[in-house]
Amino acid sequence: MLSEGEASLVDTKVNRPNGKELGSAGRDQPHPRLSASRRRRLAAWLFLTPAILYLLFAFALPIVYNVLLSFEQTSISTIGSFTAPWAGLANYRFILNDPTSRSAIVHTLEFTVGSLAGQFVIGFGLALLLNLRFPGRTLGRSLIIIPWLMPLIVTGVIFKFLFQLEGGAVNQVLIDIGLAHHAIDWLDDPHLALWTVLIANIWLGVPFFTLLLYGALQDVPGEIKEAARIDGARPWQTLRYVTVPIILPVIEVTMLLGFVFTVKVFDLVIGLTGGGPANATQLITTWSYNLSFQQFSFGEGAALNNVLLLLALICAPLYLFLSRDSLRGSAGGDR
Amino acid sequence: MTSLERSRGLRWLCTLTMCVALVVMLFPVYAAIVGSFESNNTLFGAQYYWLPHDPSLANYRTVIDAQAGHVVTSLILGLGTTVLTLAIALPAAYALSKYRLRVTAVFVSALLVAQIVPSIVLASSLFMIFHWVHLLNTYPGLILADGTYAIPFAILVLRAFFFSLPNELIHAARVDGANEWQTFRRIMIPLARSAIITVAVFAFLGGWGDFIFALTILNGSGIQPITLGIYTYLGNYSTDWGAVMASAVIAIAPAGVLLLVAQRYIASGLTAGSVKG
Repeated sequence: MLSEGEASLVDTKVNRPNGKELGSAGRDQPHPRLSASRRRRLAAWLFLTPAILYLLFAFALPIVYNVLLSFEQTSISTIGSFTAPWAGLANYRFILNDPTSRSAIVHTLEFTVGSLAGQFVIGFGLALLLNLRFPGRTLGRSLIIIPWLMPLIVTGVIFKFLFQLEGGAVNQVLIDIGLAHHAIDWLDDPHLALWTVLIANIWLGVPFFTLLLYGALQDVPGEIKEAARIDGARPWQTLRYVTVPIILPVIEVTMLLGFVFTVKVFDLVIGLTGGGPANATQLITTWSYNLSFQQFSFGEGAALNNVLLLLALICAPLYLFLSRDSLRGSAGGDR
Repeated sequence: MTSLERSRGLRWLCTLTMCVALVVMLFPVYAAIVGSFESNNTLFGAQYYWLPHDPSLANYRTVIDAQAGHVVTSLILGLGTTVLTLAIALPAAYALSKYRLRVTAVFVSALLVAQIVPSIVLASSLFMIFHWVHLLNTYPGLILADGTYAIPFAILVLRAFFFSLPNELIHAARVDGANEWQTFRRIMIPLARSAIITVAVFAFLGGWGDFIFALTILNGSGIQPITLGIYTYLGNYSTDWGAVMASAVIAIAPAGVLLLVAQRYIASGLTAGSVKG
């Protein structure tokens, strides 16, 4: 929100050489017509301008256009033109009645809940482990980041390789250690494929959960845990009643970022299953891509995109609330 | 120290558990490396080999022929995204931390919300918008889109860092006659080096690893990054796993190198909450 009052004040004062507001100090400055504080405010706005323009162009404009598009009757011939015929709620009606769209929404919810549960349990376990002192801890902490840094499409393709029916490493391990008697069709069995994508996504998110929760555990003062121990608390009780309450804000932020990350997942699914077999792993993201870029129904794709955006933005107020400290921070340099 | 840590045996049990976790977490990378040296005959057998069965560099030769140009494209996108991110985020973060502006809270909220917006939502609209402004199939278009991964995050991380720098530095620079730009350029930027490296690493990986925007904004043009290259190659030669794994290894390589040389910065960026996709 540009505060127009401020901007126009600066302009008018610049054009008024002998305005009352200019103090005597103003005359000694390199730009005698601007007081030091006005010049600073102008500089601040100039520093901010590229970011404002970028946010408007790369975020605000696409989001607004997406809303517009979702009410239009698009076709391959309308792609080049600025607007298409008004469609009212037809695209949303389509989404509600389209079985694939509906199953994509359900899959996205299942996938998100499953991912968060798996990532949290494994990530918190590893964070607790890393928080103990043992040989190889530092090396472990560095190496565990690797999965998070890989391009997501590459992760998807590698997991496709690992989950191959014949000659795939996963089936080989399961058969070797006796957990499976025959090769499992991870990718082409419609009942299993979503689980396969879920496993890959949990693998991908564990480093993020581990590092964030580990950082929080590191900040828990040792004296508090020591005091709990002296008072006779067992390790589990210390964790449950001392450590977890202290790191709860970090757990909340981590879960929230994990949620946001998971509803966005696209590359991984495209690389691993492409949404198949028989749309069994179609998520909102992949189906919206399919509607827009493969069926050229940009209006329907936009309507589904808005469902996704709404789902992602559900947690925006909570995120803003949890980040309130960074919002409050002012020019005081008080951090 | 708890009793758990005091016992030697239990400490080694921790090490063992960590090793098991690392084996699981790093196995896909290991398998991609082994696979990249295997022949397709081996990869298509019913048996999976834990070590290279019949190692050769043939896959890498195939890949260098097919993908060398894509690697250059990805480097341009990675570096372009880094430059764009720093050019926009550094001054903005400085303004949002060291000047008293009434819009700061609103602007920071907008950045937090921008981090939440799914890329696919932006991609289909940007496709249309780029169509009108003739940015489809261009580097500038793709770099502008890839910036969405890094710029909100970069402003927030740099802003938090600028907060930690004392305001006295700015006052001293002003007393010495520096103007606003000089204070920013000569005093603040050099001091923010470590935060700049963190942000640069994530911006580079964002541009290098992008797939959504490459898939939507490039349609059949000469520009093709390695991420799109792997996907297209797998679509065309779905049986050539050896070459696909060799490309995968090349696509992972920058992440590995950056982790080696800039691990500290990556860990701090991760903790600052970077959101991918």
